[in-house]
Amino acid sequence: MSESPVSGEKTYKVDLLTRVEGEGRFYLKVKDSQVVESKLNIFEAPRYFEALLRGRSIEEVPDIVARICGICPVAYQMSAVRALETGLGMVPSPQIRALRRLLYCGEWIESHALHVFLLHAPDFLGYDSAMAMAADHKDIVERGLKMKKAGNALVETLGGRAIHPISIRVGGFTSTPDKRAFRQLRVDLENALADAVDTVAWTGQLTFPDFNRDYTFACLDGDQYPLEWGDSIHISGVGSFAVEEFHQQTRETHVEHSTALQSHTKKGQTYLCGPMARLNRHHQRLHPTALRALAQSGLTLPVTNPYQSIVVRAVELVHALAEAIDIIDSYQQPGAPFADYQPRAATGSGATEAPRGLLVHRYQFGADGLIKDAEIIPPTSQNQAQIEGDLCSIAPRLMELDHAAATHLCEQLIRSYDPCISCATHFLKLEIDRGNEQSGDSNP
Amino acid sequence: MPTEGLAVLLSLLSQQGFRLVGPRIGNGAILYDQIETVDDLPVGWTDKQAPGSYRLEKRADNRAFGYVVGPQSWKKELFLPREVIQQSSLETGAYQWQPVTAPVSPTAFIGVRACDLAAIGIQDRVFVSAEQADPAYDARRQSAFIVAINCTEAGELCFCDSMGSGPRAESDFDLCLTEFDDYFLVETGSEKGAAIARQLPLKAASDAEKSDLSAGIEQCRQQMGRSLNTEGLPELLFGNLNHPQWDKVADSCLACGNCTSVCPTCFCYSVEEVADLGVGAAERERSWDSCFLQNHSKIHGATFQSEIKDRYRQWLTHKFGSWHSQFGTSGCVGCGRCIAWCPVGIDPTEQIEAIQQDAAEPVALPVYRAEAPITDRRNLFESTVAKITAIKAETDDVVTLALDLPGNYHYQQGQFNMLALPGLGEVPISVSGDSNGQIEHTIRDVGAVTAALTSLKANDTLGLRGPYGTAWPLAKTTGRPVTIITGGIGLAPLRGVMRNLAKQIRNPDSEWVSLVYGAREESGLLFRDELEQWQRNPAIKVAVTLDRASPGWSGNIGTVTTLLQRKQLPVDGLYLICGPEVMMAAVIRQLNEAEIAPENIYLSMERNMKCAAGHCGRCQYGPYFICKDGPVFNYPQLDFLFGQQGF
Amino acid sequence: MTEIATDNRPTLGVFKLASCDGCQLTLLDCEDELLLLAEQINIVHFPEATSPGQHRGPFDLAIIEGSVSTPEQLEEVQQIRGDARVLITIGACATSGGIQALRNFGDHDEYQRVVYARPEYISSLATSTPVADHVAVDFELRGCPVSKIQLLELITACLQGRTPAINNESVCVECKRNGTVCVMVSQQMPCLGPVTHAGCGAICPAFNRGCFGCYGPKESAATESLAAQIKAQGQTDAEIKRLFRLFTAGSEAFSTESQRHE
Repeated sequence: MSESPVSGEKTYKVDLLTRVEGEGRFYLKVKDSQVVESKLNIFEAPRYFEALLRGRSIEEVPDIVARICGICPVAYQMSAVRALETGLGMVPSPQIRALRRLLYCGEWIESHALHVFLLHAPDFLGYDSAMAMAADHKDIVERGLKMKKAGNALVETLGGRAIHPISIRVGGFTSTPDKRAFRQLRVDLENALADAVDTVAWTGQLTFPDFNRDYTFACLDGDQYPLEWGDSIHISGVGSFAVEEFHQQTRETHVEHSTALQSHTKKGQTYLCGPMARLNRHHQRLHPTALRALAQSGLTLPVTNPYQSIVVRAVELVHALAEAIDIIDSYQQPGAPFADYQPRAATGSGATEAPRGLLVHRYQFGADGLIKDAEIIPPTSQNQAQIEGDLCSIAPRLMELDHAAATHLCEQLIRSYDPCISCATHFLKLEIDRGNEQSGDSNP
Repeated sequence: MPTEGLAVLLSLLSQQGFRLVGPRIGNGAILYDQIETVDDLPVGWTDKQAPGSYRLEKRADNRAFGYVVGPQSWKKELFLPREVIQQSSLETGAYQWQPVTAPVSPTAFIGVRACDLAAIGIQDRVFVSAEQADPAYDARRQSAFIVAINCTEAGELCFCDSMGSGPRAESDFDLCLTEFDDYFLVETGSEKGAAIARQLPLKAASDAEKSDLSAGIEQCRQQMGRSLNTEGLPELLFGNLNHPQWDKVADSCLACGNCTSVCPTCFCYSVEEVADLGVGAAERERSWDSCFLQNHSKIHGATFQSEIKDRYRQWLTHKFGSWHSQFGTSGCVGCGRCIAWCPVGIDPTEQIEAIQQDAAEPVALPVYRAEAPITDRRNLFESTVAKITAIKAETDDVVTLALDLPGNYHYQQGQFNMLALPGLGEVPISVSGDSNGQIEHTIRDVGAVTAALTSLKANDTLGLRGPYGTAWPLAKTTGRPVTIITGGIGLAPLRGVMRNLAKQIRNPDSEWVSLVYGAREESGLLFRDELEQWQRNPAIKVAVTLDRASPGWSGNIGTVTTLLQRKQLPVDGLYLICGPEVMMAAVIRQLNEAEIAPENIYLSMERNMKCAAGHCGRCQYGPYFICKDGPVFNYPQLDFLFGQQGF
Repeated sequence: MTEIATDNRPTLGVFKLASCDGCQLTLLDCEDELLLLAEQINIVHFPEATSPGQHRGPFDLAIIEGSVSTPEQLEEVQQIRGDARVLITIGACATSGGIQALRNFGDHDEYQRVVYARPEYISSLATSTPVADHVAVDFELRGCPVSKIQLLELITACLQGRTPAINNESVCVECKRNGTVCVMVSQQMPCLGPVTHAGCGAICPAFNRGCFGCYGPKESAATESLAAQIKAQGQTDAEIKRLFRLFTAGSEAFSTESQRHE
């Protein structure tokens, strides 16, 4: 963190963002209360997923795309099978859909618990890490770990392991669990649910910087709280459109203050996806238990303060746990774990809600079942422009703070998006066209 | 007994508190799984097997036992795939040892075929009829109730008839059933079995029914899909260790360990420390091992069976060969599992046939000697606490620990102890002597456990069990010249012998003692004080040679064998050798050339010893378990194998 | 910093190269052990979990996740090695190059063009390689992702100075200990289990699918014999090539076998 010697010009930067997934930095230059430059810079090494998917069998896609992100592999697998099945003209049976939703709940629980307790909470309580926080708040950290463990156990039961589960395939699952497999798990989920309700109350009373913005929100639309399913996407001010139209409804533009290309709506607006977008549009579809928790959270809808996303995640934790228990209670092992299919030449799009937001996949494949083209748009790349926009907006407030506190406020803001930089990297065009400046891909 | 009687049998056994384990369909195969009623049995199903292939098919009838054998055997119920065998800790700074005795739930095995019954008998010989009993196996075995099932149909891969282990169950069961379309024949084999039989809806078998049985058994013999000529097989296999078939099979063998895992008799296990993060308590877990895995034959730095060929040959020569010397039977019961469940379908009967068709001369193998039935049922892993009373650094990486042991500890020169540290593991270390009632161990730091042992301090404690193994033939040293040839740390197991000889009154002209000792460099010489003392003894000639001379060294340079060439090798002398195996092999060649009688040569061998009771199978050397048949061998015991790569 | 000032605990640094973060997340997934671990080890650098981080050593133990795929990472691994007393690499990326090592077989320029509009601004090497190709590594922990149990065992063993109880045996042995039925024998499914390093707990066959080699080749991996059997069971060369060319495609045994089916 440094201050430029040039009078009146201040630079806020963190060379290696911590408690986020992946490697990035931010850089904010302010002169006379005016933002000169705002950048969320990513130096994560490229891994070329869209290229290496070409020529692979559609059967392999769920395994390969999982490796984009170790924190939300299920999200990648779910968007992939959804896109592939759409292309193949397959509709999973209600039982398979329920089981997939259950698996996805596990990932939400695990990912949200990780973010709320281990990554974001230390910002609010003034610690460098959850491990350091545990010295004074062991109960809180242990509560988070317990919830996280329940989420992981759910993913393990259905998917074999917590990271890069192995059972998701086109048409269903490689195998489905016997009802008895849920016996102990259900007990753990019940306990975690009680903890999650407490967590909503606990996060609700944290102190949030007063920072409300007029966001454009984007999320999946459907009959249920958006998760593993949805045929259309809703963008506030734009309306709903079919998932396959996503590419026409959004575009990447070159804005003046940055040399980075960023995602915007067709009308040129930055937008936000993730928990706040979901809650604001679909709160009425929350599980009753989550609705009750929301009512006692102190949140007022719509939520427009990104720092409050920690509370929204807590509400979604309640929802995911309560819904997981409901699905387990009505679970009947499907007769066949998966449906067979005949490959055909097609293009299919699919979108699901990763813990951190909208994840859209599109695949083109041939009658030989091999991928011709793949396009993956992860939530963090969509939120990228919005994060930079938020950093610009918070700039005037930074002047009142000492440098360290100002920098921390920026970091906390970035963390409130739960950015997943590894995911974003391989698809973001951010590194491109940064003018004369060296492309920021050297490590600190 | 009518078919319905089976349900009665199951419920009777349940009522008596037995957990029922029997055939049940799971994941496309017939497993031995927990069952409750006849509804759980694979009624109307059979298995079709071929090399590398197994498939369930519907039968035309409703037999409950109408299959051959599945991927599992009863071994999983008696010799568990994974089991914690003990706990140890350093809680209060002192070594503590606790056995782990998992509660045994008496189990009824439903549907044990003759081959599997024979396999249980074979494993009994390994685990309970040996010098020491495995307590956990023993407890489970004693509480088991065995319902055998005779085979009236054989599978494509069956050859129990060749192995003399079936198809009829002759003994060692509590009850034996033979299934026919609408009735079972029931035989009792024990008092326990007879007590149950009295409550079954039985009627005396008619002559026609009895002849159904013999006809069924005969039909089964005729149907066997495989056969094997076992005549002189052990000797034949060991006479053909360099047969080209071994290379051929090694090209397809995956060294994956499937064959040994499905084999109902394979008993090798590994032992590992499972320490949790909280330092202190550690568990020792054993799990199924396989001679196809690299670690099986690995000791610090050396892997004795590094090639796939070595491993396949080890397995086959053991199973069909050296098993006879060890346990008095073949290790194969002809169940065919290893053929079906080999992913590439390797068939040992084919391998053996290929060797038989183009065989070299057989060699004689050691004869099995039955061991006395065990009366001592102490836990074989039980360690006593030994306290370190003195430590002497011998070299940079070798120390001698003097240990105070409670009670009556007696050992003979050449034997070894298992030394343990909680959370780190257990290693075999030979006794290097004793003084003032303290047992000495001279240890080189070559791995994690030895590193920890060599850095212990006075008053520290460690776990010790032993002594194990054979001893040097001290009685044969009297009245003749004795030559001791050692290299490196190999002097340690012979130091006690040297001390003993040094104390004897010997005629320097006819009963001299010659110590030929090689080390890498001067700083690596062990027991310098004693070497000097022995040198002053008129009846002892000490010759030391170094691989690399340091400045000021005026002694010999070169290998032990070079030095030995210049020595007089008395024809009637006794030769005791301990050192690296390549050194010992070179020395033995020299002794052979000097026409020393092999009977007068003894050597100490080393392999991967884990249990020290001949149970874990890791230290096998042909027909021997180094831990109990060795480590000290008279050379004629080994000459048919010594120097052969891959054993 | 709330850390104790006088601290005798060994120091730990966790580093990331080209990867998905999953292996280092495994540390945070040790829900029951994480706090105990943090008491025993001084975690001085672990950006995914702690701020602000001490990028330079000395570290008693350094853990690297990810493969070497950019010129900067080439320099970074040298630096980490110099700063670390014990260096362990975790996961398929760090031990064999990861899924991104598929570019080692393909045209790197073409890969860049597919993903990036202006490839000239992307700084990356033509190959993705394991850390041990560049610096000495004390232990390589396999897996995509690594196993939590093995990771804890490795860290514990490093702390206690003993050999980690991590076997280089096949997945088959684990399958059999678990009582899982072989999918290759009973269903003719292609399975890499017989040539793949154990550690995952043999989950795939238990979930009714063949092993796809996340842990890379075991020692003495007889890939040629296995591939011949898989082919005999009906798979095409193209399918066999893809089977060996996944997350551990960069390993010598799998890379060689995949090339036999080009």
